[in-house]
Amino acid sequence: MDWVSSLLLATVRLAIPVLLISLAELYGQRAGMVNIGLEGLAAIGALVGFLVCYITGSNWLGLLCGALAGIAVNMIYAFSTITLCANHTVYGMAINIFAPALASFIYRVYFGTGSDLKQIVTMSSVAIPGLKDIPIIGGLLFDQSPMVYLTLLFVVFTAVFFGRTRAGLSYKSVGEHPQAAATLGINVIGVKYLACVICGALSGIGGAYLTTCYSSTYTDGIVAGRGFIALAAVIFGRWSAGGILLACLFFGFCDALQIKLQVSGIAIPYQFFQMIPYLATVLVLSLIGAKQAGPRANGQPYRREQR
Amino acid sequence: MEKLKKAFGACLVPLLSILLAFLIGGIIMAALGADPFVAVKFLFQGAFGTKAGIGTTLTKATPLMFTALCACFAYKCGVFNLGGEGQFLMGSMAAFLTCYFTGLTGFAGIVLALLAGALAGGIWGMIPGVLKITRGQNEMIISIMLNYVATLLMGVIYTSWIRDASVPQTPAIDEAVHLPRIVSGMRFTWGLVIAIAVGLILYYVLFWTNAGFRLRAVGYNMTASRFNGIPVGRYMLASFIVSGAIAGLGGSAELLGTQFRLINGFGAGYGFDGVAMALIGQLHPIATMLVALFFAVLRVGSTTMQAATGVPTSVSDIIQALVIVFSVAGMALTKLPEFEAWKNRVFGKRKEGAA
Amino acid sequence: MKKLLALLLAAAMLLTFAACASKPAETQTPAETTTEETAAPAAETETKTEEAPAAETTDGKTYKVAMICDSSINDGGWGAACYNAMIAAAERKGWQAEVTDSISQDAYYDSIVAYCMLGYDMIYAPGNQYTDAVLQAAEEYPDIAFALLNGAADTPEKAVNKNVSSLLPNAQQIGWIAGALAGLMTESGKLGFIGGMELDTTKGKIAGYEEAAKYVGEKEGKEVSLLNVPYANSFSDAPKGKEFATELIAQGADVFFGDASAVDSGAREAIDAANAAAGEIKIFDIGQPADILGQNECIICSQVTDNSAMVAASMEAVEAGTFGGEVLYGTLQNGTLSAGALSDLVPADVQEKYLSYIEEMKNDTFMK
Repeated sequence: MDWVSSLLLATVRLAIPVLLISLAELYGQRAGMVNIGLEGLAAIGALVGFLVCYITGSNWLGLLCGALAGIAVNMIYAFSTITLCANHTVYGMAINIFAPALASFIYRVYFGTGSDLKQIVTMSSVAIPGLKDIPIIGGLLFDQSPMVYLTLLFVVFTAVFFGRTRAGLSYKSVGEHPQAAATLGINVIGVKYLACVICGALSGIGGAYLTTCYSSTYTDGIVAGRGFIALAAVIFGRWSAGGILLACLFFGFCDALQIKLQVSGIAIPYQFFQMIPYLATVLVLSLIGAKQAGPRANGQPYRREQR
Repeated sequence: MEKLKKAFGACLVPLLSILLAFLIGGIIMAALGADPFVAVKFLFQGAFGTKAGIGTTLTKATPLMFTALCACFAYKCGVFNLGGEGQFLMGSMAAFLTCYFTGLTGFAGIVLALLAGALAGGIWGMIPGVLKITRGQNEMIISIMLNYVATLLMGVIYTSWIRDASVPQTPAIDEAVHLPRIVSGMRFTWGLVIAIAVGLILYYVLFWTNAGFRLRAVGYNMTASRFNGIPVGRYMLASFIVSGAIAGLGGSAELLGTQFRLINGFGAGYGFDGVAMALIGQLHPIATMLVALFFAVLRVGSTTMQAATGVPTSVSDIIQALVIVFSVAGMALTKLPEFEAWKNRVFGKRKEGAA
Repeated sequence: MKKLLALLLAAAMLLTFAACASKPAETQTPAETTTEETAAPAAETETKTEEAPAAETTDGKTYKVAMICDSSINDGGWGAACYNAMIAAAERKGWQAEVTDSISQDAYYDSIVAYCMLGYDMIYAPGNQYTDAVLQAAEEYPDIAFALLNGAADTPEKAVNKNVSSLLPNAQQIGWIAGALAGLMTESGKLGFIGGMELDTTKGKIAGYEEAAKYVGEKEGKEVSLLNVPYANSFSDAPKGKEFATELIAQGADVFFGDASAVDSGAREAIDAANAAAGEIKIFDIGQPADILGQNECIICSQVTDNSAMVAASMEAVEAGTFGGEVLYGTLQNGTLSAGALSDLVPADVQEKYLSYIEEMKNDTFMK
């Protein structure tokens, strides 16, 4: 029993940062913005979050500034792809090169060449009285850091927003048929910029979560491929909030299992477990048809004149 | 004359971008308290200052040329192969396993390993191609995912299956299958020659043959090509396979010429770098190779720059990213209708006056 | 026309903003921080030398040493200790010291060669994993001295130009220093160890740790065992260390030791978290390779490896022109290895027992 509950706990722990970043990508892709620069956005979020938290001692302020940093960097992508109609992939990639280098650079400049370990105090978990004593799921769902609750609430909000509200439908129409959306009086360019703001903010928070809630130090490369796993989760979760939650939990579970097996000395190379998210994504894409594969105008430039 | 003007215009954007990126890099260095001119001097001294330095730069440029050509060829044919890194790694793994298991040495071993690498890269490149053509799926996402699969598979090999005693790396391949160096005292090998040859062949095929014309036609306008009776699917699949094979060949050349073993960090980032270089080189094979060389200079030089002036290598990464950001933005800008209108208004008049 | 100019201007501003403006906003004057940071660590490393007082550089030449490192030098562990050792030795010998850290495995050689080309006199590579890169560079730069920390005993012979020396702290004794205390302090009888890479030296430490803990535990009437050792295959993946430690705690481990740099910092976080959840400090960690008592609550002692004496000896050999081809051993007996200060969490009687074990190790009577 202990074994199972510790496995599930680790699953949730490992899933949350990926979940935040995948939600970022969901908001992007729903407006037709395929951003593969999540890794970079999260990296700058992680650094800024850590730095602000280190200076002010406030984890919340760290998360907020992480979000702002994510937005600031993502504006490069937004301006180039929306206004200049440049290729989405290239800019995502450029951010992946640019933002981690910037993060590493700022860390070095701020702390200098020293050998002291820089640590912050991670956000403490808040237990919900009563509920936390329920066996197994008590500790899993009701004894976590406040960020975990917020993230899960945000999943619910996202599901309702896209599934049940008019605003959500308008938002989605930008990703499906921008030209049609524009004739209905939707400000397509505005929605696309908004999507990039949300995407930058959530990725930044996802990165900052790693350094303010999960681990107490910043190291270069702390995002460690989570940006691409998040991209996979959006596809594996079939572009819906609920699906993405399940996808992230599944990927988190694989990761947790991998760690458990490695500690137990079972000799299956752990890399095979780490491959699962990527293989699962390729598999899903090869099974579903192209029409079901995400918003139709994904990654396509939108020019007003085309109307 | 018209052609020359066009070529000049094409060079203008990347050159301006490089200048702008260095300008910003210089400001950052100055803010750090370092003299940007000294730092840049060391950057170029590290890359060109000594015979060994030039050798290192050419060595670093070799794999970048391969992945850049891989991206260049694929994009020219209208397929967005982002899987250069995975194909590169599959190539290096195939080359390593060939050397490790057959024990062939000398010329035969080298040729076999190179061919195995190209084959493995081609097969790895075929997967997103098949899924795109048969299922209509987005080849970018699939090829990115396959990059990670390849990286992890390499991890399995060097941490578990074929491990060199204590350190997580494979044993080195036999010295008899190393690609020979061309000039003694300089590290670059025949791999560089192969890369340049591949680039020249691509240039010839793309611009001087019938097949190349059709490939470009598919890349330029798929619907029109289909209408004109070009078997679009077949051409696209072929370009996936060929571009994968180029990357795979690069992977095997890197293994046989530089690294000699599979190791953590092997080839990391080369795929994406290649895409960026191909775009800055405006999808022209020869320009692309020059851009790859330029990036190699930045990389090799930045290590020396950090060692000599304490300016961290991340500054060079920032400069590289800015070159990409500026030049691709610049090229997108020049394609905007607003820009066209502006250009006509400014230059159009003068032309009339001259004529 | 105007619109386009505005557009271009906005683009330039945005990008410059992202590149530079965000920096001054978040950072202070860089020059200040750099100088004060480099000065600080040099002072704190105590030097235990056995050599004669520093031979002044007679010919007035300033010698230069460079260190390359795959982990970060502010990892609170291995990287930091090795860096401080070099700085301390350089300070004493009047050498100029430089470092490049956080480099990936395929770039070891390139970084070494960059320093060689700049005319450095000695390259200091702190770890067995640099062996191949060092040997390759040593072949191409016969006039430069290469000091390989944790290099194998036969590595110097493999260098064709005889310009490589191994600095070899005794891994078994390192394991003993931690193991004896672990054996005394464990209540569950289960010990944890987190490895970075599966290096021979790491294996030696594990073996020493396990045998010492078993031996001491038996004397105390406890059965002690070491849980399966997980390897992070990295020296920087702190989150992985955290997950490993959490898992080992779940399996009952209550004393930890490690050999994985920043991964250990992650492990300590997990231990602190588990202690905080339990409301008392029942799970302990033994730090290494510098005295890091007080860095985390759970640290009860540190196994200290002071490499500066060995680095200084290598520097002397370079100055005298006699460098190369040797193996310098670091042991408890010659002061390279020692046990750091003990925390109050270790009861007085246990402290006494532990120190007597250390004496036994020094007198070579431990486990005999």
